[in-house]
Amino acid sequence: MPRCHAGAMAERRGATVELREVTKRYGDTVAVDHLSLTAPAGRITVLIGPSGCGKTTSLRMVNRLIEPTSGEILIDGHNVLQEDPTQLRRRIGYVIQQVGLFPHRTIGQNVATVPQLLGWPDARIRARVDELLSLIGFDPARMRDRYPAQLSGGERQRVGVARAMAAEPPLMLMDEPFGAVDPIVRERLQNEFLQLQRTQGITVVFVTHDIDEAIKLGDRVAIMRTGKLVQFAPPAELLAHPADDFVARFVGSDRGLKRLSLLTVGGAELDPPIDPSRLDGAPVLSPAMSLRDALAEMLASETQTGMVRDGDRYLGVLTLSHIGRLLRSEQPK
Amino acid sequence: MTPGEPLIRWDWLLSHAGEIGQRVGEHLELTLIAVAVGFLIAFLLSLAALRVPRLYGPISWTTGILYTIPSLALFALLIPYTGLSLLTAEIGLVSYTLLILIRNIVAGVRGVPAEVREAARGMGYTDRQILWRVELPLALAVIFAGIRIATITTIGLVTVTALIGQGGMGYFILLGIQLFFSTALIVGALGSVILAVLADGSLVLVQRALTPWTHTP
Repeated sequence: MPRCHAGAMAERRGATVELREVTKRYGDTVAVDHLSLTAPAGRITVLIGPSGCGKTTSLRMVNRLIEPTSGEILIDGHNVLQEDPTQLRRRIGYVIQQVGLFPHRTIGQNVATVPQLLGWPDARIRARVDELLSLIGFDPARMRDRYPAQLSGGERQRVGVARAMAAEPPLMLMDEPFGAVDPIVRERLQNEFLQLQRTQGITVVFVTHDIDEAIKLGDRVAIMRTGKLVQFAPPAELLAHPADDFVARFVGSDRGLKRLSLLTVGGAELDPPIDPSRLDGAPVLSPAMSLRDALAEMLASETQTGMVRDGDRYLGVLTLSHIGRLLRSEQPK
Repeated sequence: MTPGEPLIRWDWLLSHAGEIGQRVGEHLELTLIAVAVGFLIAFLLSLAALRVPRLYGPISWTTGILYTIPSLALFALLIPYTGLSLLTAEIGLVSYTLLILIRNIVAGVRGVPAEVREAARGMGYTDRQILWRVELPLALAVIFAGIRIATITTIGLVTVTALIGQGGMGYFILLGIQLFFSTALIVGALGSVILAVLADGSLVLVQRALTPWTHTP
């Protein structure tokens, strides 16, 4: 894909989604209870919680696959409840765990679904399909005419994301999109998706039950329990200052370690460089590496320290006590 | 059978080639009308049953009863009203296709994976678009399985309508029975079987052409 094009698209801003006092009742059960939150434009907002907490119901109310009992949902200030649901959905990307590609249509036709519904001219659809297939790392000429059954699970998931992005929606709703693939593929898909989201500037509301995924992808994470919002904060804040015992338990007793995955070696204080011969067997760490990975390597080495190098430059020595101090400095009082 | 008579008299076959061809055409016409009209009725009833699930029970029950009525009895019952006519034959033949066709159309559409339907709805397909562009195309394989069974059973049943003056290859079977003439009997029976096999094979080819996604490497 040409670079100038990527730049142009990055300027396109995502939409802001605002839920105001949204409630969904099924008979006597309250699935979502006066939920208010704002998903900022161009960011990934993750909804997370134990099963039955109302996260998927909340997501599906945004594109009106489920109708709220009361409350308002605004996209860029417009109340979605006053719009035609079909038209609304064509402007919102939607990805689900089982992907739901159309088995009877080729990859190209699948990706073209929403542009076709919107009546784009054929030439524009063709160009957009090829552009998206390239974006997700496919060779359009090779993949365009294949059927979903000929793809691996990871490839199908990528096509699902491309299909949701096809009509350049300002908002994407994703319901555990990477939940059905193996951990190695999942990590790769998450990384690719993060990059894609950053370059396209789309607002994303993302449902998961995997706290590691929430921390990795979320700019903001909403923790829900029995239909209520318990805490809504950036991941680092969530790990450092859980609002209550429920959140603390949910993010896990290893939340210190999880916070390390958000911090980099470059952000830690270092001892001044010492003679490398005294660091025999110590791992070499780069400033961009996460502290969690650095810690794992240091613990496995005899010296329990790491030598930090930025390319050829020897920056200093990272010790376990530095990591501990960094964690304590952000602990809740 | 007359003693000394051969099982098949080839000279009779040759001298009656024209008539055999005409009866084959008749047989195919009776079958085609029955399956086409049957499919149309079955399709409409299936759409109704898919939209209003409560209707499926009664529809299934009624067509099931129709299916169990012995064909001879059904024709006998109809003769006072519609006579020894093509219409009488077709009413019977069409009735027998309905159960199989409706079951397969409904099962085919209901068998579409829930996530495919969910994705279609989430992307902004209307209910009508979901039916025509997603559910029915995906149900084609199962629907075709129904059309194949309906066609084969109809080709067999057409022979019975010889009793009311229709019948295609059934005419020869009747002739064979009346005259104790094995050649005609075999032409009628074997002809009907060959037609069924050929029709089934052609339908498989049509189905493969219509559902390219089911047989990609």
